Amino acid sequence: MSTKGASLKGLLLAALLVSHMLLTKEGVTSLPICPNGSVNCQLSLEELFDRAVKLSHYIHFLSSEMFNEFDERYAQGRGFIAKAVNSCHTASLTTPEDKEQAQQIHHEDLLNLILGVLRSWNDPLIHLASEVQRIKEAPETILWKAVEIEEQNKRLLEGMEKIVGRVHSGEVENDIYTPWDGLPSLQLADEDSRLFAFYNLLHCLRRDSHKIDNYLKVLKCRLIHDNNC
Amino acid sequence: MFLNEEDWKECPDYITSGQNSCYFNASYTSVWTPYCVQLASKNEVYDKKCFSVDEIVLPDPPVHLNWTLLNTSQTGIHGDIQVRWDPPPTADVRKGWITLEYELQYKEVNETKWKELKPRLSTMVPLYSLKTARDYEIRIRSRQRTSEKFGEFSEILYVSFSQIGIGCDHCTEEVEFPWFLVLVFGVCGLAVTVISIMLSKQPRLKMLIFPPVPVPRIKGIDPDLLKKGKLDEVNSILACHDNYKTQLYSDDLWVEFIELDIEDPDEKNRASDTDRLLSEDHLKSHSSLGAKDDDSGRASCCEPDIPETDFSASDTCDATSDSDQFKKATEKEEDLLCLDRQDNDESLPSLANTDPQRRHRNSQSENSHLWAPFGDSVESPPLSVHTQISNQNSLASTDFYAQVSDITPAGRVVLSPGQKSKLGRAQHEGCTEQNFTMDNTYFCEADVKKCIAVTSHEENEPHVQEQGYNEDAYFTTESLTTTVANLGASTAAPPSSEMPVADYTSIHIVQSPQGLVLNATALPVPDKEFNVSCGYVSTDQLNKIMP
Repeated sequence: MSTKGASLKGLLLAALLVSHMLLTKEGVTSLPICPNGSVNCQLSLEELFDRAVKLSHYIHFLSSEMFNEFDERYAQGRGFIAKAVNSCHTASLTTPEDKEQAQQIHHEDLLNLILGVLRSWNDPLIHLASEVQRIKEAPETILWKAVEIEEQNKRLLEGMEKIVGRVHSGEVENDIYTPWDGLPSLQLADEDSRLFAFYNLLHCLRRDSHKIDNYLKVLKCRLIHDNNC
Repeated sequence: MFLNEEDWKECPDYITSGQNSCYFNASYTSVWTPYCVQLASKNEVYDKKCFSVDEIVLPDPPVHLNWTLLNTSQTGIHGDIQVRWDPPPTADVRKGWITLEYELQYKEVNETKWKELKPRLSTMVPLYSLKTARDYEIRIRSRQRTSEKFGEFSEILYVSFSQIGIGCDHCTEEVEFPWFLVLVFGVCGLAVTVISIMLSKQPRLKMLIFPPVPVPRIKGIDPDLLKKGKLDEVNSILACHDNYKTQLYSDDLWVEFIELDIEDPDEKNRASDTDRLLSEDHLKSHSSLGAKDDDSGRASCCEPDIPETDFSASDTCDATSDSDQFKKATEKEEDLLCLDRQDNDESLPSLANTDPQRRHRNSQSENSHLWAPFGDSVESPPLSVHTQISNQNSLASTDFYAQVSDITPAGRVVLSPGQKSKLGRAQHEGCTEQNFTMDNTYFCEADVKKCIAVTSHEENEPHVQEQGYNEDAYFTTESLTTTVANLGASTAAPPSSEMPVADYTSIHIVQSPQGLVLNATALPVPDKEFNVSCGYVSTDQLNKIMP
């Protein structure tokens, strides 16, 4: 008799749990969970853009801080800033340089551009994370930021590819991409030249991450909120 | 001048921004293009700065500040408001081109310091618990989200509750917390509690609140002793307490604390150890009388810091002080006993037993009385047992003792010959002196070494005999036994002829801790020329002799 009662209790508990899960499903808003085996389970475009913007903002924040720390620690008095006006490796990509241009460009092109920039930074970020460790007495904060940026950039790239897959009606262009050949400069024997190479790279990273962040926000406001953010 | 693409250009507008300024309107700049500006005059450059626009953006202040009442407290003294504003029109937030953060500051009208809220993205913020009787000022400023520098402050917004009609004209002045009353009542209550506890008959409660202060008490001393003024007894007990530090002695009651006097080679060479032992002991016994009166506790039984001679001298634990040569042994034993007085008082009778044993042995052996070395004592300050022994020897005609001439770091004792062998020693020194530098107290062994020409064939024997080694403090006796046996059995005659000294007896049995049973005639001493009188070779020396 007791076992029967226990089994009944268990059954009741299970039933309660299941019903609770079903009922509270509505309450979950931030991270909709797809039930297993569902084919059409997809995050909404709004969700995707939200996450992309969060990531791009984070990446820009990290690279900005990293640049500031590097500047403070290694670049003082070396006059790097005067020399750092030279171009970044992504300069060959024609990105909109101001608001008007950004508003005029078609969103698909803009998305492709964003993808191209992100892909172009994939390789440099990997090497940055490894080479920055060899800088003499590099602060721990710079080290982990480099690693973090590299990681987040990968995630952003994945997210962007998803978005592009949703938004693009036609074929996705994979050609927009700039190779990076700055690895030897990061490994120079002369410390001054090497530090300048890092400075330059970090400066470019900060700028490009700002660009990506801005473009994504523009796209989000345009596509999701209809220019009414 | 400003630079763009390697080309310095003149400032386009010196006027718009006022004096000492250069104005670049939007047509000259692009957001992500790096620029440098420099201030120069003819050929001299005063200052230079490089940047890109996105780094230096300072947004305009927010506009259209307003506030609305959320609710008021029941008493009507406090109220909550919601402040709203619009982003600066020049910042295109709607299209997402720039993202702004806002920081709000507020204060009462007649205050000087602004209160800050942390920066936030939203364009509205609630302010809680404002005093309705007072007026407030609010201002807001904005910055680019990834930047650190804020733009200018907005215009000040004035908040006045009376305008809405909930101004609290009839409100009473805010009641300050009655600190004074609280203090007074608190103190009174505490005093009452304390007094009641003190007066209460409940012992447990009293103990809890007022734990009894422990009366000073020395372990082992009956406070009555102090009261009755039996200072001597107290002193003795205290003195013994000092030695509690040296737990070394706790195990071996009768083991003496022997100090090595390694730095004094000449002294050893000059006089026989026994002589030194006896004479010094005589002296020390006098000093012991003086030490008796010393209250400082230095004249304690087993103070390790005091030179060894004081051991014999210290007799605070032992009232008797005569210069009997056995007294020294007694004293030493009792000194050690003193160390453990608190531990076991029955050690005394056992000591008494060993004493006669010892004395008996001494008489038996005539001139060898082995001071069992204390293994750990080698680390202690220089040993001067040998001196004591020598003193005794000098005083007494017969050699009761074999001096412990030294103790090796391993804790093995090296005995030197007694009175008779003093002569022998002098002759020994005729032998080539090896290993003298090693340790002068081992001179006898050195003599033995050089005098014993061949010891190789003796190796077997010491090994055999050393099998019975026990690794305690008394092993040296066995080594000595071995040595003596070796010496006895050795056919290699030492060059110098020396009467084999009957000073030494083999140690037949080691009865720890009561002492040793010496076998006076255990070993044959066949070779007269064999120089046994160098004494016992410590095991170290022995080991050196033997490969």
